[in-house]
Amino acid sequence: MSFRFRPMPIGPTGTLSRPLVDVIVEGLDAAPQACLVDTGATAVRMSAEIAEAVGLDLAGAPEDEVVAGGMRVRGREANVDLTIVLDGRPVTWAAPVWFCEDWPQAFGLLGLRGFLDVFDLTMSGCDETFALTPRFA
Amino acid sequence: MAATSTFHMGGRQFAVTRADVERAARSELPAPVRDYYVVVRGRRYPPKQVLALLTGLPRSRFTTHHAVRTLRRLGFPVGRKPRAAGPARPSPAASAPDPVAALRAHAGQWVAVRAGDVLVAAADARTVVSWLSEHGQRADSMFRVPLDAAQASGIAPR
Repeated sequence: MSFRFRPMPIGPTGTLSRPLVDVIVEGLDAAPQACLVDTGATAVRMSAEIAEAVGLDLAGAPEDEVVAGGMRVRGREANVDLTIVLDGRPVTWAAPVWFCEDWPQAFGLLGLRGFLDVFDLTMSGCDETFALTPRFA
Repeated sequence: MAATSTFHMGGRQFAVTRADVERAARSELPAPVRDYYVVVRGRRYPPKQVLALLTGLPRSRFTTHHAVRTLRRLGFPVGRKPRAAGPARPSPAASAPDPVAALRAHAGQWVAVRAGDVLVAAADARTVVSWLSEHGQRADSMFRVPLDAAQASGIAPR
């Protein structure tokens, strides 16, 4: 399924279009989280606030330092169900996600492990479009 | 625009200012707008919600018309959501709102958006999710509106 880059406001007058896809975390379909498709990221990372919002208990979860947006932050890893809607059909997979404190980004990051190893990605910066195809049936 | 608006309601007399309205609205996130809305500090509220917060009276004690008139008198912009059904009226006023412009007012905040409209904006994600649940609303997307290009980039350190 193809997606268009989504324009976001930058400062008082600027605009930046980003390859964003809405991801439902742990079945919370009332609030899909906008995530950036990030081929430079090694994993799926998002704000720890999301874990709190969906009631994920991260106590005892593996903890480590994570680099995102030029900052080093603390993150905890949990295996969660993620869902995106492709052509009107929900596609769900289990992924390891790092939930990070003091998350410096506006969006979650969909990186290699847990996303790009699950979907084939085709992207055109010229057309500002990208397409995702799940590698599983 | 009146500096102070004086009105009778529920057997009491009220004299309120713009600052009173802004202070009252700060105490609650906006409820979903069904028809009329008033813009207070860049957010759309149902007029009756604002007047109820302002007076402490239940919403059943006054009409939307009364609330609109009171808030308009203090200089707050009042609008009406376009109806979903009905014949299309092609005019500049009827064109879709600019979703980027709608987001710009919420830089740095978590927002939930649907069809280009900001449903709710708050300082933290939990408040946004709670609001959606409380009001039975579903968003298309939720995120923090970037403050600058770096927050929207996903860049690694140099």
